[in-house]
Amino acid sequence: MAKYWGIAVDDIFNTMKDRFRPEGAKDVTASFGYDISGAGKWKVTVNNGTLVAVEKTEALSGCEATMVCDGETFVGVNSGKVDATNAFMSGKVRVDGDMGVFGKTGKMFRKFVPPKKEMSVKDYLLDMFGTVESRFKAAASEGIDAVFAFDLGGEHGGKWSVTIKDKVCKVKTAIEGKPTITLEFSDAKDYVEMSLGRIDAQSLLAAGRAAAVGDINMAMKWAELFEKYQDPLGGAPEQELLVLKKTISVDQKFSTGPIIGRFLNGLKEKKIIPNKCPKCGRLQFPAREVCAECRVRADEFVEVGPKGQVRYMEYVYYSSPDPLTGATRETPYGMAMILLDGCKGNDTLAHLIRRDQIDRIKGGRDDVSGTRVRPVWNETRVGSIFDIKYFEIDE
Amino acid sequence: MAHRKKNRNVGIIGIGQTKYSSHREDVNQPEMLHEAVREALDDAGITMKDVDCIVHGNMELFEMVHQPDLWHVLGTGGYGKDCIRITTGGTVGATIACASDNLAASGMYDIVMAIGFEKLQEGHTTGGITNMADPLWFRNLQTGALTGSKAYDLINEFGDERAKRASMTYRIIMDKHAGLNEKAHRHFGLDFAQTDDLIKNSPKLVGDLKLIEMCSQSDGACAVIFACEKKAKELSKKPVWVRDHITVHKEETFNIFGYHKDYPIKQTHRFAADHLYKRNGIKNPLEYFDVFEMYDPASWWAVDWLRDFFQLEGDEHIKLVEDKEIMIGGKMPINPSGGVIGSNPIGATALVRIAEAALQVRGDAGTHQIPTPVNHAIASGFGGTMWTVLTILEKELNW
Repeated sequence: MAKYWGIAVDDIFNTMKDRFRPEGAKDVTASFGYDISGAGKWKVTVNNGTLVAVEKTEALSGCEATMVCDGETFVGVNSGKVDATNAFMSGKVRVDGDMGVFGKTGKMFRKFVPPKKEMSVKDYLLDMFGTVESRFKAAASEGIDAVFAFDLGGEHGGKWSVTIKDKVCKVKTAIEGKPTITLEFSDAKDYVEMSLGRIDAQSLLAAGRAAAVGDINMAMKWAELFEKYQDPLGGAPEQELLVLKKTISVDQKFSTGPIIGRFLNGLKEKKIIPNKCPKCGRLQFPAREVCAECRVRADEFVEVGPKGQVRYMEYVYYSSPDPLTGATRETPYGMAMILLDGCKGNDTLAHLIRRDQIDRIKGGRDDVSGTRVRPVWNETRVGSIFDIKYFEIDE
Repeated sequence: MAHRKKNRNVGIIGIGQTKYSSHREDVNQPEMLHEAVREALDDAGITMKDVDCIVHGNMELFEMVHQPDLWHVLGTGGYGKDCIRITTGGTVGATIACASDNLAASGMYDIVMAIGFEKLQEGHTTGGITNMADPLWFRNLQTGALTGSKAYDLINEFGDERAKRASMTYRIIMDKHAGLNEKAHRHFGLDFAQTDDLIKNSPKLVGDLKLIEMCSQSDGACAVIFACEKKAKELSKKPVWVRDHITVHKEETFNIFGYHKDYPIKQTHRFAADHLYKRNGIKNPLEYFDVFEMYDPASWWAVDWLRDFFQLEGDEHIKLVEDKEIMIGGKMPINPSGGVIGSNPIGATALVRIAEAALQVRGDAGTHQIPTPVNHAIASGFGGTMWTVLTILEKELNW
């Protein structure tokens, strides 16, 4: 496709919707034709202040006025490289039909500004923070009182703070007040790349090139509070590339069967009753229909515990969403494999540890005991894993 | 366990992979698969007319599409073909390769195409993995595939400093390999000088498992074409022969390593390696194989598993890492592709191991080709709560 000053004829038409000024088209109801030699024919229809259609067409008909010229002149006039009056006077542009009506198109569209070829990190940072207030979604900020601080290092780095209070957003080029969350990037370039969707935040955190200090949950809210930053260089996906978002919520129910059912019913009575493999003797938590290793039914139930020792605890920092409810678990939390009294080897029960005690838990190994723990039962017990709230240190 | 010799030999004749990335919003699922299918067909020099059967696989629930093989006919070319869908969790990529090999070896089909894919950005990976667990118990406690238990074990066995440095050294080597593979998803440009820094500063996920040590979440697809010996020799100048594979499953359990020396837990990787090498008469796998593409979901596990896969004892596996013998150019290059820590489109991941191992055998791995000849390669798959698939590839039909 031929380009003039780096601009194609199509670029002018493709951006008309974005450049349209309704205030410049009041009381205009007309179709305008464009016959650009070597590039094609377009029909632009306006109805009382609204741009109805910009269509490429084989044959122009029903137009009040039609502009006829070559591609270079068309691009030149629209991008300000060629003086429109001179072009008209010199015959490079001809208008067929109602010249008076066609004159109105001059006010209907903002001038075409070719996208800049490059933006520096500094340009991007100015644009990103310069548009924060206009991208703010006030309606989504109900009840939020927070300061987001940005501490960006590197050559073009700097400090910014974004304050949200009473559904108003203010940006300052310094860190002011007490930040709720501070986002630190060792190189401002990484922040720009992340905002443009070229690197994901997790990768930067993993590589130690970024850190979030403070209320991480507030950091997660950023995407809800602000519209996504749009790259002025047009890095945004084209119109037909949509990403459709869906959240699925499904009520589920699971049958226990009689074996695990008996185990869960035991919890209602504050009893922990695994079943025992008649062949290898291992106890199963929760009880299972068979011993999968010996391929025999495990019919005998044995009451154990309820106290025991921790063999190993997963110290979990990552806030995994609960797949049953979608709720995010509070972190850090401890998931422990607990060897209840009366059990041996690897016959452990998996459960949670009281959150304020996880730093004091020691795992056991071989004949060395781990921290002693006891279950804390729920007042209401329904035969579920959470009839035990968690285990706590037995002191 | 009865295991008989193949009815006929099967060779890999075509390999296709997309670029792995966390940003494939530019294509939908069928389009993404098509990129891999197109490349595999071109690589084999055949068209869909030549393909008799398609074996399609990914993780269930990750994208919440329940019959993706229906929708994907647009991209797989499966219209009117025999299509089989398989899903076995993290091992699925290796399982579809095993199934394709078995289908071609049986004589039922001459040419079978295995297609593995995942578009992890379209769902929730950790949520999806957590859904594999018993909904009445473990699902309420588990955090996807994240566990610090292997780090805990290695630290117990080899001491805090040595264990942590081994894991991070492995991680940095994988990053260097990923930097050589233009299709890899993540490459940070890490260097050994950063080892202590990364150990200290990379955010922790669970216990001593750090964010940098965990695999990525990628979008991507891989297609591998398997052909019976006759077709493979007709169509391909350098078919890569599938010598044997083994699959070892066990029950769902989250007590995967054991806490007492008197009560060992069956380790499926060691079990798979022992059986597979024995029935193929391979006495010393470290000497026999020239390259290993391992399903390494995290660097801690990877370091530990070297001991199982190569039947090593004591700290031999730690030394392999410390001496950087697992780098391209070393004694046993592990994952010249950058491995799973570099790229992890889960349903494709285990198939990518086989595809990459086959590229090494062919000498077609380009910038990440190992410099010495590759005659014997091995590839592993991992999933479930410790499930293993192990596959041997050969350059010649002389075994």
